[in-house]
Amino acid sequence: MQSPTSVTNAPLWRLAWRRIRRRPFQYVLFILGIAIGVAMMVSIDLANGSAQRAFELSTDAIAGRTTHRIEAISPVGVDESLYRTLRQEIGYARSAPIVEGYVVAEDLDRQPMRLVGVDFFAEAPFRSYLGGSGDASDSGSNSGGTFGQGVGALTAFLTEPDTVILAQNTAAQYGIQVGDRLRLTLAGQPLLAHVVGILQPANALTRDALGNVLFTDIASAQEIFGMQGRLSHIDLIADSDEELAPIRAILPDSVKLETAQAQKNAVQQMTAAFELNLTALSLLALVVGMFLIYNTVTFSVIQRRSLFGTLRCIGVTQGQLFQLILGESLALSIVGSVLGLGLGVVLGRSIVGLITQSINDFYFVVSVRDISLSRFTLIKGMVIGITAALVASLIPAIEAMGTSPQSSLQRSTLESKVQQVLPWLVGAWALFTLGGIGLLSIKNGGLVIAFGGLFAILLAAALLTPPMTALLMQWLSPLLNSLVGMLGKMAPRDITRSLSRTSIAIASLMVAVSVIVGVSVMVGSFRTTVVQWLDQTLQADIYVTPPSTTANRVLGSVDPTVVEAAYSWPEIDHIVTYNDADVEVIAFNREASGVPAPDAPEITVNRTAKVISADGDVSSGKRPYAWIRDDIRDPWPQLDAGEGVIISEALMLRAGVSEPPQTVTLESPQGPMTFPIVAVFYDYSSDRGTILLDSDIYIAAWQDPSIASLGLFVKPGIDVDSVVARLRDTFKGRQDLVAQSNRNLRQGSLEIFDRTFAITGALRLLAVVVAFIGVLSALMSLQLERTRELGILRANGMTPQQMWQLTLLETGIMGSLAGLFAMPLGYALAWILIYVINVRSFGWTLQMQIQPSYFWQAGLVAVVAALLAGVYPAWRLGRMPVATAIRGE
Amino acid sequence: MGSMISQVQRWFQPSATSWETVKQPSQGFIELRHLSKIFTEGTSERQVLNDLTLIVEEGQFVVLLGQSGSGKSTLLNLISGIERPSGGTVLIDGVPVTDLNERACTLFRRDQIGIIFQFFNLIPTLTVLENVTLPQELAGSAPQDVEAQARALLERVGLGDRAEAYPDKLSGGQQQRVAIARALVHEPRLILADEPTGNLDEETGDTVLQLLLDLTRNAQKTLIMATHNPAIAKAADRVLRVHDGRIDDATAEFTEAIVA
Repeated sequence: MQSPTSVTNAPLWRLAWRRIRRRPFQYVLFILGIAIGVAMMVSIDLANGSAQRAFELSTDAIAGRTTHRIEAISPVGVDESLYRTLRQEIGYARSAPIVEGYVVAEDLDRQPMRLVGVDFFAEAPFRSYLGGSGDASDSGSNSGGTFGQGVGALTAFLTEPDTVILAQNTAAQYGIQVGDRLRLTLAGQPLLAHVVGILQPANALTRDALGNVLFTDIASAQEIFGMQGRLSHIDLIADSDEELAPIRAILPDSVKLETAQAQKNAVQQMTAAFELNLTALSLLALVVGMFLIYNTVTFSVIQRRSLFGTLRCIGVTQGQLFQLILGESLALSIVGSVLGLGLGVVLGRSIVGLITQSINDFYFVVSVRDISLSRFTLIKGMVIGITAALVASLIPAIEAMGTSPQSSLQRSTLESKVQQVLPWLVGAWALFTLGGIGLLSIKNGGLVIAFGGLFAILLAAALLTPPMTALLMQWLSPLLNSLVGMLGKMAPRDITRSLSRTSIAIASLMVAVSVIVGVSVMVGSFRTTVVQWLDQTLQADIYVTPPSTTANRVLGSVDPTVVEAAYSWPEIDHIVTYNDADVEVIAFNREASGVPAPDAPEITVNRTAKVISADGDVSSGKRPYAWIRDDIRDPWPQLDAGEGVIISEALMLRAGVSEPPQTVTLESPQGPMTFPIVAVFYDYSSDRGTILLDSDIYIAAWQDPSIASLGLFVKPGIDVDSVVARLRDTFKGRQDLVAQSNRNLRQGSLEIFDRTFAITGALRLLAVVVAFIGVLSALMSLQLERTRELGILRANGMTPQQMWQLTLLETGIMGSLAGLFAMPLGYALAWILIYVINVRSFGWTLQMQIQPSYFWQAGLVAVVAALLAGVYPAWRLGRMPVATAIRGE
Repeated sequence: MGSMISQVQRWFQPSATSWETVKQPSQGFIELRHLSKIFTEGTSERQVLNDLTLIVEEGQFVVLLGQSGSGKSTLLNLISGIERPSGGTVLIDGVPVTDLNERACTLFRRDQIGIIFQFFNLIPTLTVLENVTLPQELAGSAPQDVEAQARALLERVGLGDRAEAYPDKLSGGQQQRVAIARALVHEPRLILADEPTGNLDEETGDTVLQLLLDLTRNAQKTLIMATHNPAIAKAADRVLRVHDGRIDDATAEFTEAIVA
C-alpha cells in the first residue's frame, strides 16, 4: 500500500515525453546546442591529447624502462668515452648509448621519422622489443615482442651500414618488407636505408607508438648524423638515487644527469599554453550553447505555466516540478552530449592534422596517424555537457517551482519581473566587470586566471544586454514608427515585451560575434606585428639553410665549405652566420665574477630556451627592442664584444619577470655562465624565449662550431634574384642547401603563421554556428508563441508581406543590437587577448591594429544570421491559416 | 540618405487593392454557394459544414445560434476569409472571397470587414488608441490622419479617457469595447462578431451588445453574430440555427415569441 506522503513522478515523465514528441524541433535545438558545444571541446581535447599521447607513447616506447638519462648540455652530444667509463670502470651494466635525430622518410609520405641508433647488446634491460630472443615464434607471446626475422636479420643489423628496422604497423601501412630499400633524407642529403627487420612489439600501444621510429645500429646513426665518437645521450636504469652516486662523481660539467620523466615533462610544458588557449576557445562554444539551453528551457517552462499551475492544484509538489525540468534537461543533455562526443571524434579527426602541424612547426616533431580516444576526454565531455545543461536549466527550473497553484502566472508577469530585475542586472554587470578586471590585473596571475577574467567580462556583457536592449528599444520605437509606421512601432515593443528571451538570444549572438571581432583583431594585430617584425629583423638579402624537417625549425647545419665559398663571391658584401641550440636558463640577476653585481634580487628561472649565436646583426641595427640598457644606444656592439647578451621579451615574461633583469645565467658545458643583459628584443619566432649571444663565446663554451643558417648581404646595386639563381646554380645537385630571398623567407614565415591560425578560424566559425542555432531557437520560440497574436493581426488586415516585414524587422533589430553590442565587447576581448592572454601564454607583446572591416563584417554576420533565423518562422506563419493561428494551434 | 529612407518607407507601404476586378453577379450582399468545411484530424475527417447555401441582404443583423462545436465560428471564419472552405464559394458584394489569393483576401478583409472576437484579442504591445487605429495604419494611413476618428469612436464606446492605456490595464468589458471600436474604425460594410459577450458577465455583456447594435444598425451595416444566447436573437432580423453541418432558418421561432 502506498503511503499518503509518497509521490511518484511517472505521470510527469509521461507528460514530458509527450511534449517532446509534440514539439521536437524545439528540443532538437536544445540537443544541437549541447552537441556542438561538447563536440568542439572534445575535438580540441582529443586532437591535443592525441598529439601529446603520440609524443608520450613514442617517448615512452623509445625510453623503455629508462629511469635516468645522461645528456650533453651542448648540442654536440656526449663523448662516447663516458659510456666506456661507465661500463668498464664503474661497471654500471644497466646503461645503453643512444644516438638519435630526425630524418624524412621519402617513401613514407615524406613524414619525419625519429631515427634511433642503439647498441643491440646493451638493449635487453631497456627495450624488450629490441632485446627479445629473435625467434619469430615468440612474437605473439606476452614478452616484449621481437623483430623476429631470425639471426640473419640481427647479423645484418649489426654488421651492415645503414640498416634499419621499423615497426610492423608502419611496414604494413606502406607495404614495406624485409629486404626493401627505404629512401630517407637528412637535412636534404639523401640516404638509402636497408630494411633488415620488422619490429613486432607484443603490446598494441607500443606498436602504435613506434609508428614513426626507425631503429638502426649506433655506429650507422653516428655516421648518418655526423656524430662519430659522440652520443645523443646515455640511458640508465637505477632503482634508487644512491645507485647513481658513483656515476655523478665522474660526470664532467658538459653533461647532466636527469630523470626520464623530467625530460618528458619539460617537453610537454612547452605546449601547455598553446593547448590551454585552444581549450579556452572551445569552451566559448559551450558558453554560447548554455545561453541557448537557458533560452529553450525557459521557454518550455513559460509555455507550460498554466499546466504547472494545474498540476500544483492537483497535488504535484514544487520539488517534483523542479525534478521534471531538470530531468528533461538531463535526458536531453545526455542525448546531446552523446551526439557531441560522436561529432567531436569526427571533428577531432579533421583538426588533429592542423594541431599537429602547429606543434611540429613550433615545438617538437610528432606524428599522429589518428586520434586516440581517451576515455577521460569522453567522460569529461559528457560530464561538462550535462553539467552545462543542468546549470543553464537551473533558473528556469526554480521559476517552474515557483508556479502558483491558484493561478497560472502569465508570461506578462514574468516579463514584469524581468523589468524589475533590470537595475539589478546593471549592478551585476558592474560587479562582474570589476571582478574580471581584477582577475586580469593580477600580476603573474597565470593563464587560467586570465581566462577567468575574460569569461567574467563576457558574462558581464551578457548581463548588461537586457537593460541595454530595453533602453535602446524605448528610443528606437518612436524613431522606427516615424520611419516605417505601425510595424516600426510594434517590433521594438515586441522585443521589450519578451525581454526574458529576446535578450538571451541577443546576448548569445553578441558573445559569438564579439568572439569573431576579438579573435579577428587579435589575429590581424598579430599578423601585422609579425609582418613589421619580419621587415625590421630580416635585413639580409639571401638566407641559406639546410632543408628543414619541419616548417620553421632547422635541423642540421650548413656545410662549412659552402660558407667559405660564399665569402669568396664578389657580389656579397658581408655574411652573418647563425647557430642555435636549446639551453637551460638557470636564473636572472645572479651575481658572478666578471659581471657587475645586480642591484635586484636573484630570480630562479629553470626554463629551457633557445640560444642563438651570431657573428653579426642580421637586422643591420633595425631590430625593434623592448628595452635597451640606459648607458648604451646600440646593444649590438656590446654583444659583438662579448660584453653582454640580448634576451627576448618572451624569455622574461614567461619567467614571470616584468622588469628587464640585469644578468642571465645559462647552463653551459663549462658550468653555469652569467652574462650581463644589454637589451630585450621582440621575438615572435619562439615562445620559449631566446638569448642572443656572440658566436665566439658560444663556440668556445659550447664547443659547437656548426652553422645553422647564413644571412648574405648583397652589395648595393646588385640584383638579389640573380645572386640567388647563381647560388642555386653553383650548388646545383646539392640537396642540403636551401637559398631563399628575403621576400621568400618572409612569405614562408607568414604561411606558417596563417597555418597556425587556421584552427582558430575553424573554431570561430563553429561559435557562429552555435550562435546561429541559438538565435534561430529563440526566434522560433518567440514567433511560435506569438502565433495567436500574429493571427489576430492577420485577421485585422495585416498582409502576409507585412507579417514578413514585422518578423524580419524584429529579427533584424535583434541582430543589429547583437552586432552593435559585440563591437565594444569584441574590442575588449581583443584587448584582453592581445595584452593579457598572449603575453601570459607566449610572452609576446603585439601592437593592436584595428581594422574597421573586422567590425562591420562581424556586424553584418550578426544581422544576416538574425534575418536568416527569422525566415522560417515568417514562412511557417505565412502558410498557416489565420483561423488556425487565432486558435493558437 | 533621404532617398534611402524613402526607399525603406516604400517597402513598408502596402500596395493597392485588387479585388474590384474579380467581382461577379450575386444575389444579396452575402451569398454562400454550396459551402462545405471538413477538418482533418490525424487520419479521420470531421465535416463541420455541409453544402450550405445562404443569402444575406445588406444591413441585416443575422444571428447564428448553435451549440459549441456546431460550426458557427467556422462559418464566420469562412465568410471573413481567415479560413479556407473545403468546397463552395463565399461572395461578398459580388467578390468571391474564397477565390481570392491570401494577399487579396487580406486586403479585402481589411477594407470591408470588421471582426470582433470572444476573447477580445487586442494586441498587448499597443495602446488602446493604437489598437483602434491598427487596421487603418496597416492599410497605410498615417496615425495622425486616423487618430481623430479613432478617438471619436473611443468616446462613443465610453473609453475616451483610456486611449493611452495598455489593454492589460482594462477590464474585460472595456477590452471588448475597444475591440468593437477597432472593428468599426475603418467603416467596414460587414461586421462579424464571434460570441462577443461570451466572455463577459451578463450585465456587461448586455451593455456591450447594446453598444454594438447601436453602432452597427444605425449605420446600416451588416452584422453577423455567432452566439449561444437565444435572448440576443430577439433583436435580430434573421436567426439561423447551425447544427449537423447545416443551417436552418429559425427566425420565425423568435418572431413568434416576440409576437406572443
